[in-house]
Amino acid sequence: MDITNLPIRKLNALFNNKDLKPSELYSKIFENAAGSEASLHAHLTLFEEENIKKAKKSDDRFEKGTSEGLLDGIPLAIKDNINIKGYKTTCSSKMLSNYTSPYDATVIKKLKESEALFTGKTNLDEFAMGSSTENSAFGLTKNPWDIEFVPGGSSGGSAASVGARSSVAALGSDTGGSIRQPASFCGLVGFKPTYGTVSRYGLIAFASSLDQIGPITKTVDDSRILFSAISGKDSRDATSIANDQVDIPSDKTAKIGVIKELMEEGISDEARNEVNKVIETLKNSGYEIKEISIPIIKLAISIYYLIAPAECSANLARFDGVRYGLRIEGKTSYEMMENTRAEGFGKEVKRRILLGTYALSAGYYDEYYGKALQARKEMIDEFTKAFNEVDYLISPTTPTQAFKAGEKTSNPLEMYMSDLCTIPANLAGLPAISIPTGVTADNLPLGVQIMSRALSDESLLNFSEIIEKEIQFNQQPKGWV
Amino acid sequence: MSKDFDIQNIAKLASINLSEDEQEKLANDLSIILDHVKALSDLELNTKQNEIYIHPLEKELELQEDELVESLTHEEALSNAPESKDGKFVVPPSME
Repeated sequence: MDITNLPIRKLNALFNNKDLKPSELYSKIFENAAGSEASLHAHLTLFEEENIKKAKKSDDRFEKGTSEGLLDGIPLAIKDNINIKGYKTTCSSKMLSNYTSPYDATVIKKLKESEALFTGKTNLDEFAMGSSTENSAFGLTKNPWDIEFVPGGSSGGSAASVGARSSVAALGSDTGGSIRQPASFCGLVGFKPTYGTVSRYGLIAFASSLDQIGPITKTVDDSRILFSAISGKDSRDATSIANDQVDIPSDKTAKIGVIKELMEEGISDEARNEVNKVIETLKNSGYEIKEISIPIIKLAISIYYLIAPAECSANLARFDGVRYGLRIEGKTSYEMMENTRAEGFGKEVKRRILLGTYALSAGYYDEYYGKALQARKEMIDEFTKAFNEVDYLISPTTPTQAFKAGEKTSNPLEMYMSDLCTIPANLAGLPAISIPTGVTADNLPLGVQIMSRALSDESLLNFSEIIEKEIQFNQQPKGWV
Repeated sequence: MSKDFDIQNIAKLASINLSEDEQEKLANDLSIILDHVKALSDLELNTKQNEIYIHPLEKELELQEDELVESLTHEEALSNAPESKDGKFVVPPSME
């Protein structure tokens, strides 16, 4: 067994028993990166040299028995929309290609306190807007299972990196599925925590009422360890909340719902089969399963593509060539801003800013944004009703397996549809996880999504771990380790 | 196709200079997306505006104590500026 395939708890045990040094793991991870980066392009920047000293310090702590816990010496990849002080944070945009972070995001501060190491910053769809990592201004990331296919997005670089073992685990951000969808496409666990449990301070904002940082990992337990390290109320993020967990059953007394609307038209047979496989397994273990209808889910894409662009148009107004990032000169300040934004933003970002600007403009606000907010509230109410009947909701994570690069770039709606199953959890603020369950005929992985009520993240992880153990998905992409 | 929008005006509001080619392509994309989201217009909704929260967990946002805490230094805040002078951001004139 290669050490880079091991879960965090096992690595920590090896460190503690002095059977492995963090610096040895560190070297192996960068050996993997050296072998995979040219083909996959998971990372935008690698931090190899500057972290060697930190890895050695970690060695010393384990030697002396003064280690900082489970993440001490564990190399993590960080999505390049999360600030690490002293390094570039580009959001894969020309707009920020020269931006150096003057501060640490709260999640980074917490990971530094845990003495985790960073492998570098990973590629994403520009400003996290996309589902394939094709919208990066700095080139495509490829799927480690088959480089003809996309790794998903927007956290495609983070997923490809964990898949190819050029990091032990990674952080991504999820606004409409950007952690769970690439995790599903790359055969990994992707966890979007309850909205507000992880501080967004230092995450470059896309749509603030939907954005959430979370882990992409090889196992459910690795996601649990990372979630525990990064969660908690933060005075620098007014929307963050105390991580006061509610306990719901994960054993056989738990009731499971299958979302009717996410097993119908628009979902591939393969994606449906994965859900049915999990249902069968749970039934055999004695769980009660029932179908649950949440009709408004059919409108999730419409609601999302009004709310997310509206928030994005306001958030991205800050990129104006004045305080940071690109500046393209103009005769007046106004001309300078128009030129800067024309040159700095890519096509998808412009599309969403314009859509959001329109949805918020005088005369259209009530018809579009106002209506979407009302519909969002009704979706939250429908989920509340569903969780009066069941404890967990199961669905596919993605309607299909990974698609080929260029396959969905001509019609924006086609790309948007790939987030059909993941968007509802963002709109309702719910915790949601994708766990890998099988591979398709094309030998590409697929995952199943599980959602639960707000602030039941830990129970959701416990339940997911039961499924993980039952299903025994232990395949990984070949040729990278 | 919904065409009741003026792409030039939206681009002006968004402060993005669009080429003619971009205007045409983006107008077409926006039409496709707006046609899709029109599904919402037919929806009968009972929710009142005052029942809507921006926080999806329907939390009221709390006010914080007005305390001095460590923040970026002046120098750090200016460190990424395209142009600065005497501790201030420099921009082109507002009027020609």
